[in-house]
Amino acid sequence: MSLAALEDIAVHSGTTHPIEGVVRIETSPLEETAPMFMAKMRSVYPHDEVFGQYCTVNDYVDCPPDELFEYLAHTRSLEEWTYTLRDFTETEEPGLWLAYDRLLPDTEIYTRTVANAEARTVDYHCAWDQGKHLWMIYLMRVLDAQVVLGKPGSVVLWTNCRHPFYDANPYPEAGPAERTGWVGDFWDIFGAGHGLELNNLKSIAEYRHRNGLPITPDWMSTS
Amino acid sequence: MNQPTVSLADVSTYLPGEPVGADYYAQFAGSDDLAANLMFRAPKFRHHVGPDETAIDMVERAAQGLIERHGHDVIANVDVLITHTQVPDMGFYGEGGGIAHRLGLRPSWVLDLNNGGCAAFVLALKVARQLLSSGQGRTALIAVTANAAGHVFDQAGVRRKAQSAVPGDGAAVGLVTLSDQSPILDIECRTYGEYAGDMVLASDPPRKWWAAGNSELSIGFTETKITKVLARGNQQVPEVALAVCDRIGMSSKDIDLLVTNQPNRVFLRNWREALEVPESRHLDTFDKCGNLFGAGIPINLDHAISDGQVKAGDLVMMAAFAHAGDFAGAAAVRWGGRS
Repeated sequence: MSLAALEDIAVHSGTTHPIEGVVRIETSPLEETAPMFMAKMRSVYPHDEVFGQYCTVNDYVDCPPDELFEYLAHTRSLEEWTYTLRDFTETEEPGLWLAYDRLLPDTEIYTRTVANAEARTVDYHCAWDQGKHLWMIYLMRVLDAQVVLGKPGSVVLWTNCRHPFYDANPYPEAGPAERTGWVGDFWDIFGAGHGLELNNLKSIAEYRHRNGLPITPDWMSTS
Repeated sequence: MNQPTVSLADVSTYLPGEPVGADYYAQFAGSDDLAANLMFRAPKFRHHVGPDETAIDMVERAAQGLIERHGHDVIANVDVLITHTQVPDMGFYGEGGGIAHRLGLRPSWVLDLNNGGCAAFVLALKVARQLLSSGQGRTALIAVTANAAGHVFDQAGVRRKAQSAVPGDGAAVGLVTLSDQSPILDIECRTYGEYAGDMVLASDPPRKWWAAGNSELSIGFTETKITKVLARGNQQVPEVALAVCDRIGMSSKDIDLLVTNQPNRVFLRNWREALEVPESRHLDTFDKCGNLFGAGIPINLDHAISDGQVKAGDLVMMAAFAHAGDFAGAAAVRWGGRS
């Protein structure tokens, strides 16, 4: 049986010409495409191109991936490795946690953590001020560094997407009346801020691993 | 005690023969995987060294501008001669002695700098500055020759390759003196020895460059190697220039004239983007002269001075990287004008 790659589109469009935006070696040989690749290599890249719509930070952590995943899967790990999230308490709704984002005064942040041990993904679904619509989503994935880097440890991938609510607070009445700032005001320093927090995570996990301490401390796993 | 100030007092240059147009290569162009590659997209013109024109001939011609402006005595009295010849006419001992003799010099120092490549002028400035400031003389002459285009890249087989349309030939001399006329503010040179083997001389069938055989020698490139060189050059040139800026307490935005080597248009764009220098203050001669390798910086500087694009008091930043990224250098000069 022959491969059916893009056959449906060929039937639909009635032509074997590539549809706009699709570049495949059959119709765009490397000799033609390579110059385009090279022209896109720069010494520097505009901030907006790198951090405008998506904010991604990654790093290596010298700590076994399953243990690091288990730690991250505890919502209260955020109490330790984030820069500003403090005083986590579980709400009456199971799995939904309330904390305070000390970036601005009296600012509540709600978090529900969705973790998948098999894929080692940890998604923190969050929102400022209210816990009904969790639209600030921190997508994290822990990789086995042995597989991707050929050495023991973990690689952490972390991406945020720029939901339109970052630019306009959808629930202004939910926040403190006297507060003038908004979480999205900080979007352009998310790269730097998340980089700092990822480094916190790395420093804490590596300290525990290096010194034989459990990566997830007792208070987090028992209480 | 402060070290005495050393200046880049003047430069003069030479472009051999009439300009050779891009159509010269079009007639030979073979089918070449790299033909469409913008790393090798041809400049409109370049110059070719004559078949029997030596590097010493080129330096002698390049020096005429200095002699006209400063008198032969300034040349005759140089204490330090530093040379870089891309394709030495005699590989074993270089061109330094012959150049000294042809120009009528009796310098106490003669040095050939083969490792500097496209950043040879910066490396030579650093050596000259060190020697003069440590009491080894009052005047140094730097002589840089690019002569591969007409010799290596114009061989009947090699000129069919896309890469052969990019190089150009030219020579430059720089006059370095103990004075505060155009002070050299700082220089950064870095060697990345791990990349030293990444530029190779290729021939089919393979042979040592000095061994007998009929195969023509050319610079060996593959698509993947070009990508690595592009990435290294993108990083190294801004890095050394910014290191100099840091030490002299200036921002790269304060650069009044940026002159770099000019391997292709992409590097030129990327470097000024990284240094936040507008195109109007980054002078190149790529379309007139092609890739001038080590002669690129002084030839571009000479053109900028002659065209009035740099004036007394301007901060001039020279920056380049060499070969496949095994060396990079940057030098800042407060240009004092041609006296």
